[in-house]
Amino acid sequence: MASATETGETDQVREIGHEEYDPVGTAILITIYFLILVLLWVFMYFVEFLGNGPTVVGAVLTVVGLA
Amino acid sequence: MRNAYVDQFPAEAKVIKAAFWSSFLALAIGGSLGLLQALHRTDVLRIMEAPDYYTVLTAHGVLLAITFTIFFLVGIFTWGVTTSLDRGLVDLRFTWGWYAMMVVGTVLVGVSILGGVVDAIPMNADVLFTFYAPLQPHPAFYVGLVLFVVGTWLAGADWFRTWLAWRSDNPDERIPLPTFMALTTTLFWYLCTLGVALSILLLLLPWSLGIVDSVNPLLTRTLFWYFGHAVVYFWLMPAYMLWYVMLPKLSGGKLFSDPLARVVFVLFLLLSTPTGIHHQYLDPGIAEGYKFIAMTNTMFLLLPSLLTAFTVVASMEHGARQRGGTGYLGWLKALPWRDPVFTGMALAGLMFAAAGFSGMINAGMNINYLVHNTWWIVGHFHLTVGTAVALTFMAAAYWFIPQVTGKELWNRSLGLVQVLVWFVGMTFMSNAMHRSGLFGVPRRTAEPQYENFAFEPAAGSMGEINAQVALGATLLTVSLALFLLNMVMTSLGGSSDEIPDNTYAETLSGPEDAPVVLDNLKLWTAIATVLVIFAYTLPLASIIDAGGLFGPGIDGFQLAIEAGPAFVLESVREVIA
Amino acid sequence: MNIHTYEKAWLVAAMVLIVGFMATITYGAVGPGIAMIDDDGGTIDPAEINDHERFGEPGVEHVGDDEYEVAVVAQAWSYTPEQIEVPADSEVTFYVTSRDVTHSFSVVGTNVNTMVIPGQISEMTVRFDEPGEYGILCNEYCGEYHHTMEGKLNVVPEDEFDLTELSVDAPSEVEAGNETTITANVSNGMQEDLETTVALEIGDQGSERDVTVPGDGSEEVEFTVDSAELGEGDHDWTVTVDDYEETGTLTVVNATDGGDGSAASGGDGDA
Ligand code: HEM
Ligand SMILES: [Cu+2]
Ligand SMILES: [Cu+2]
Repeated sequence: MASATETGETDQVREIGHEEYDPVGTAILITIYFLILVLLWVFMYFVEFLGNGPTVVGAVLTVVGLA
Repeated sequence: MRNAYVDQFPAEAKVIKAAFWSSFLALAIGGSLGLLQALHRTDVLRIMEAPDYYTVLTAHGVLLAITFTIFFLVGIFTWGVTTSLDRGLVDLRFTWGWYAMMVVGTVLVGVSILGGVVDAIPMNADVLFTFYAPLQPHPAFYVGLVLFVVGTWLAGADWFRTWLAWRSDNPDERIPLPTFMALTTTLFWYLCTLGVALSILLLLLPWSLGIVDSVNPLLTRTLFWYFGHAVVYFWLMPAYMLWYVMLPKLSGGKLFSDPLARVVFVLFLLLSTPTGIHHQYLDPGIAEGYKFIAMTNTMFLLLPSLLTAFTVVASMEHGARQRGGTGYLGWLKALPWRDPVFTGMALAGLMFAAAGFSGMINAGMNINYLVHNTWWIVGHFHLTVGTAVALTFMAAAYWFIPQVTGKELWNRSLGLVQVLVWFVGMTFMSNAMHRSGLFGVPRRTAEPQYENFAFEPAAGSMGEINAQVALGATLLTVSLALFLLNMVMTSLGGSSDEIPDNTYAETLSGPEDAPVVLDNLKLWTAIATVLVIFAYTLPLASIIDAGGLFGPGIDGFQLAIEAGPAFVLESVREVIA
Repeated sequence: MNIHTYEKAWLVAAMVLIVGFMATITYGAVGPGIAMIDDDGGTIDPAEINDHERFGEPGVEHVGDDEYEVAVVAQAWSYTPEQIEVPADSEVTFYVTSRDVTHSFSVVGTNVNTMVIPGQISEMTVRFDEPGEYGILCNEYCGEYHHTMEGKLNVVPEDEFDLTELSVDAPSEVEAGNETTITANVSNGMQEDLETTVALEIGDQGSERDVTVPGDGSEEVEFTVDSAELGEGDHDWTVTVDDYEETGTLTVVNATDGGDGSAASGGDGDA
């Protein structure tokens, strides 16, 4: 009972088995998502963040300065 | 013959129904407060005094992030365990016991928060849901939280004993997927709540009762976040479960891969907890190395979510193609977009994809200087818990409430409108919040209008941002009202024979393809514990070493309940002078 | 376990993404040299802030070349000092701690942002290349009036910056015929010597004195004032050093009028 499909409720017109199914559309969508992530990451890090004025820098620089 | 959940498990259905309604009540109150906050901050409508804003915000945070989500979770997990094991809970009195405990806990917390605005209640808990010491709430707030959490522990125990009972009857079977998900989630919940429970019981509660006279704020804060990151996955896991076991079926297809679903939940068990320090990237007193370790774990935690994105979308595509969809992307049109359950969950998933992006930014250690504690963060988690979780739950309710009541959903079209309005409202609100965070607008701030400087957006204006937030919040509240209306009207309706059977998705690649070791819960728990020990022993030791277990004589602050602000400022100035 | 080829590819892509993110963050640390707030600042007992060597007198301190240290105390709901001024082209290390609850110290529109936790000292070093004016706000809830907690950070052009302080000790009254002195105290917070001129104007008279104030020291300059030249009555005076100015009034009284003659301070204060 637990995992019987409700074929009645869905408008299934064909049965696609494991072997014959390639999620091409998913691959396309996920590739687009990947590209968006990369582009936005680069934008956020290098433009929004590094371009956002003064930033906290390492004490290493201070030590060099004192020496 | 009708075969809904209520027909199979009438007694369990009652508990689940109670849990759902507790959850909806929290959502109703919390959501309305959200509107109040949005309008106050943006100066569109200010009907309360600024100090009351923080009482309201405490209630909003606690009611939505803790009460709403977790009551729904216990309902869903109880459904998942009983349905997939095909057996009832072992002892319903025990079940009602933990439910009652969660309710009592919530009421205690709620009343202590309410004391912040109602003079008749001599309590106060304006500490926000993070209750950072030395801000100090009434002890009832801590006691309530502990009761609530212990209630969830017992709920977990309930699922475990039901599973063990099933195991003795089915020694060789694989753990059914929904049960597997509930159990792995419960395991990391035990692991992470241990920190906050110890923090409250050993440090904060004695301090608020005056038994010890000091706390170490960094220590209690670190213990909070030890729990505080894992809790976000705790909210998320029931949504993931629904995406894995409901969405494929709703789409007309099968779950693409059961083994990968198991891998994903195992990864969450392993990595949810040893990441909490990523909330403390900008805290003093924690060495950079520990922050880097937390970041590494956090980044790897992206993996299960990215895998989920693929598996869930592939399952939907499978359904769409079985329904006759074709083409590279044309199949998208074949999905059941008129079904509010499907559409709500799919839109929630879409928003989660966007949230994934802002989450990656949050995870990046040094870029945290840009976004930490700004409104960007609030924008982020209204996409995660506020939509990925909340919208999934609301959509799921359109399926579950008929299941547990035997009554037909009052109005499906209204449900569709409701999920769409939420999506649109959240797009406005969250987008504007994200943007404003980038130019420094702080979160948790009643009136972010300053005397000596103004915010300088690179594009757009503060006015336009405020307008979007107010508009978004209004739409969200409308959506919320429609949801509640639909729930109430459904409950008032009569029993129906049209309720679909209680089932969940079949799999394309089933558990037989999954290595048996995946079901070895002991092994994964052991590894998770070791990872936590690695990530936390040294930071905690150095915090205690530097500041002491109880800190250097730090009193509690309740800024300022009885005294007017002028008084407090004066006394502070005296101290300075 | 059979995983579909596409999903395997996605797994690889996801790993590339994760590693790429961490590589970017690491680049930020070693390239531009971004450092995280950590435990370098040490701990402090909030009850002892007033006696603390650094936080007892919060403010800006010059520690050498282009390096400055700024001590800030956060408390509900203000910062001490509220206004911070540092020169451009400098490297400033902030030390921030809290007297009561958790706050933040966040410089709006920059990446300067830290939590301020009671018992801990947040230490962060920042380079300011350009002049600019920034707001400071608290972005962690710290009580009912949290939203009013703000401050100001002014990065001024290098040549407009100094850490000079002027205070003046002057009597308010002098008997006609007597001489008196107005003493200017010039202190120099910079490490280098300060060469400047102290000027006194009183009535229609004026005098100037060149001084060299040693680095991290102070110098007193005494001006002798002869009441006979001023004549009876009120005389406004002004002492100036660079942009700093102190003013007051000296009254020359007739001895027989019997003013109480005490040397109450006429003008005293910090520039
Ligand atoms: C009607 C819908 C909602 C509206 C209009 C709304 C509005 C807001 C606003 C304006 C804030 C920001 C307060 C500030 O930073 O000053 C906020 C905070 C928050 N919201 Fe919502 N929200 C809604 C729904 C939700 C939902 C469904 C959840 C979770 C399930 C949620 C969880 C939170 C949390 C955890 C906070 C942070 C509290 C804190 O900072 O302590 N909200 N909300
Ligand atoms: Cu987190
Ligand atoms: Cu504050």
